[in-house]
Amino acid sequence: MSIPGAPTAKEKKYDRQLRLWGAGGQEALETAHILLINATAAGSETLKNLVLPGIGRFTIIDDAAVTDEDLGTNFFLDDDSIGLPRAQKACELLCELNPEVQGNFINDTIQNVLKSNPEKLKDFTTVIATGDIPTATLLSLDSILYPLGIPLFIVKCVGFTMSCRLVISEHPMVETHPASTVDLRLFNPFPELSALVDEKASSMDDKSKMTDHQHGHLPYVLVLLQTLNEWKSTHDGQPPSNYSQKNEFKSLLRSKMWNADEENFEEAIAAVLPHFNAPSIPSETRAIFQDEKCTSLTKESTSFWIIARAIKEFSEKNGGLLPLPGALPDMKAESKDYITLQNIYKSKARADLAIVVNIVRSLLAELGRDSEEIAESEVETFCKHAGYAKLIRGRSLSEEYEKSPRAQAISSDLSDSTALIHYYLGLRAYEAFISDDNNTQHIAPGAEDSTVDADTEKLNKHVTELLDKLSITHSPELLEGTEKAIGEIVRAGGGELHNIASLAGGIVAQEIIKVITKQYIPMNNTVIFDGISSRTHVYQL
Amino acid sequence: MATTTVLTTESPDRWKYLNNILTRKGPYSDETFEPGDEPKAFLADLKILVIGAGGLGCEILKNLALSGFKDIHVIDMDTIDISNLNRQFLFREADVGKSKAEVAAAFVMKRVRGVKITPFNCAIQDKDDDYYKQFKIVVCGLDSVEARRWINATLVNLVGEETLIPLIDGGTEGFKGQARVILPTISCCYECTLDMLTPRAAVPLCTLASIPRQPAHCIEWASVIQWPKERGDLKIDMDDPEHVTWLYTKALGRAKEFNIPGVTYAMTQGVIKNIIPAIASTNAIVAASCCNEALKIATTASPYLDNYMMYTGDDSVYTFTFQHEKKEDCPVCGNLPQALTVDPESTLEKLMEKLQERPETTLKKPSLRTSSKSLYLQAPKQLEEQTRPNLEKQLKELMEEGDELSISDPGMPFNLRFIISFS
Repeated sequence: MSIPGAPTAKEKKYDRQLRLWGAGGQEALETAHILLINATAAGSETLKNLVLPGIGRFTIIDDAAVTDEDLGTNFFLDDDSIGLPRAQKACELLCELNPEVQGNFINDTIQNVLKSNPEKLKDFTTVIATGDIPTATLLSLDSILYPLGIPLFIVKCVGFTMSCRLVISEHPMVETHPASTVDLRLFNPFPELSALVDEKASSMDDKSKMTDHQHGHLPYVLVLLQTLNEWKSTHDGQPPSNYSQKNEFKSLLRSKMWNADEENFEEAIAAVLPHFNAPSIPSETRAIFQDEKCTSLTKESTSFWIIARAIKEFSEKNGGLLPLPGALPDMKAESKDYITLQNIYKSKARADLAIVVNIVRSLLAELGRDSEEIAESEVETFCKHAGYAKLIRGRSLSEEYEKSPRAQAISSDLSDSTALIHYYLGLRAYEAFISDDNNTQHIAPGAEDSTVDADTEKLNKHVTELLDKLSITHSPELLEGTEKAIGEIVRAGGGELHNIASLAGGIVAQEIIKVITKQYIPMNNTVIFDGISSRTHVYQL
Repeated sequence: MATTTVLTTESPDRWKYLNNILTRKGPYSDETFEPGDEPKAFLADLKILVIGAGGLGCEILKNLALSGFKDIHVIDMDTIDISNLNRQFLFREADVGKSKAEVAAAFVMKRVRGVKITPFNCAIQDKDDDYYKQFKIVVCGLDSVEARRWINATLVNLVGEETLIPLIDGGTEGFKGQARVILPTISCCYECTLDMLTPRAAVPLCTLASIPRQPAHCIEWASVIQWPKERGDLKIDMDDPEHVTWLYTKALGRAKEFNIPGVTYAMTQGVIKNIIPAIASTNAIVAASCCNEALKIATTASPYLDNYMMYTGDDSVYTFTFQHEKKEDCPVCGNLPQALTVDPESTLEKLMEKLQERPETTLKKPSLRTSSKSLYLQAPKQLEEQTRPNLEKQLKELMEEGDELSISDPGMPFNLRFIISFS
């Protein structure tokens, strides 16, 4: 039995997520190839949350053999795995979750892969680095992936603490999923809209020309526009600009009601504050327009920048207005009047789109490229979201660690002993500890009961060294929170707690999905979770 | 790695990392926390109940098993559906149609040696107080407000000299979710925060009947008006493709008639089933947070959440962790009745309709009483007939200002109490 429009088997299976990111997002996931470095619990949980929604492929690089300790934290290893390659066993058990996903593994260290075949990294859409990876290796990954534009997620998970650093050079987003994209153009109605107001609403105060029913079903957008016409005629052509004028306007609307229960007027009154805004280009969109990649297109420019440039040119020729998104909220109205109004907004949106598409075509031609290479649907999506598009310009790990550390972001939170920056410092000290040249086995601080005190000492010393290097003044009082964070980190002895690893896997997978689908807004650039106080904080480091 | 003896119990290394937390005191550990073997043994003996074996439940069972809990019960009355497989990772295509609780329990027991999980394929209401009393902690991963209210009220009612069962509750929607810890009668309970729920905006019947504007209006028209008209008493089964297709076709016809674009099959399902988007990663975050709290409460190894964490992942990562206030007039855990202002000229029937619009009084079959008389009783039949004429009476005929109005419902193990004042 096949019903036109009925979902396919795949649509049924993915129904609950397609409602979030649609077919376009799903397509992006299905063509992605994720690299996981080290099948830790956090790493395996991250992959689980990507395999389930149907990521295309994944590869695990790990040279460890499965131990008993692994079984106490990692659900994707079992008793039969003990002694066998961890990359292989985790790959097998993860593949069971979704027959559509292809899993691979490389039973080797990332260091060896970087040495023998660094080109290999180009295969991947996204890289996740987990486990105890020394700083030098992280910086090597950074130096290869960052220039290639391949996002790198560095995940640390020790005891009750986790952090995730997203290293990404540039991340443009169009579909950010704002709560609404409605732009009613109340302060600058286009001619077709003004004509409709004249036709339908000009006699809304005249009881001889309108029945009660008609008056009570006049779409509130027309009520607002007609009343604005009246207001402007007594205010030098200006709409209400401040709070008290807006309140005055609301009273004017109320005085025009014929009955106390006219819902359309109530809707109009409620729309005054949210919708009476002078048209302007939001700062995020302006930043995109002013970006060098927008102002100077090249033969290599991506479609994002070409469409952004076309919309910029469109707005310059249209009094600073962006293309109309065309959405109209529901409102009290007769069906046909609502549909008429909806079609007026839609037609205007289509007309704006046609102009932008033409600009895109000529920009492509000027660049010597195929003028049809960008699909109209992509331009349409951008036009609908022009006021909500966003660009993240990230920072490389070498910028954070060496070239231009953001000392200010660290020092400003230091005096708050409950701030999560203390866990950041604790984890940096942890990384320094396992990266120490004398610690060739990368043994974690607190691995043995007997080393807890000495290791705590060492971590505290790593923190003061880091702060000195960053020229951040510190004192024992300022480092009270850091000392406690270090106490918790050493307590865990380098081990993952399953719950925190699982939570990390959830957070990292959400961020990866956002990055791969280029939908919603990923965090920029370091998130820290503390499982003792159940709080997160995002730092831009 | 040659072993000369067969291990009958798990290796001591298995729980090394968990043991680090339990055998070492942390800077934030409670003063009463005694690190060592005691918290380990306590964890192994403690009975914990998981309600729901769906998106959150699968995660919760895995997490508890890997947190050292050994004696877990799980209740879920649902069977596995194909649309569960994008996140409910203990189920495979071959499991479709089987009991969620049973398949989930069997899978986790097979994967994690030494854990005992007892599944129940039934409704939570099928179990009595004695059953719930045996647990030290209850963790909830439910998608139903009604079930949450029921278990919350049940655990509050069980509070006594020897019994206080913490309730840990999680919920998700899309990229957002929340985890909370409820200490019945001590901290704010589920019922205390019911007004946080935003009621689903109901579309007026006249819009559905005569002036549809949105695709959803056409779909609701098909299910609310056209279905009873054409298919009589037959109940709509949201999971029956024939029913969904019928509604979709009707909605499509209506949309065409009014030139309304946008009715799709997926939207039809979404509207009639009130589908909430759900993904593995959000479930993972919320379930892990709940189980982290369960571990901390069970062992006192670190302080637990007091009492609410909200997670938002659609725009960066944002959490809001705060203490929700207990309500003195909470109908479940408070001592005081709530205030209710009514129009004395209005009828009892109107009052009952009004109550349906508020999340805390959305009830299936409410019966209303004042301290001196029964106003309207849904059962037994004779009493219903006897009290039915009251529905049309004005409120001023039935009650006075200052009267206490009590509302009961078979779905709720508690009464709502209101002190009446006239507007």
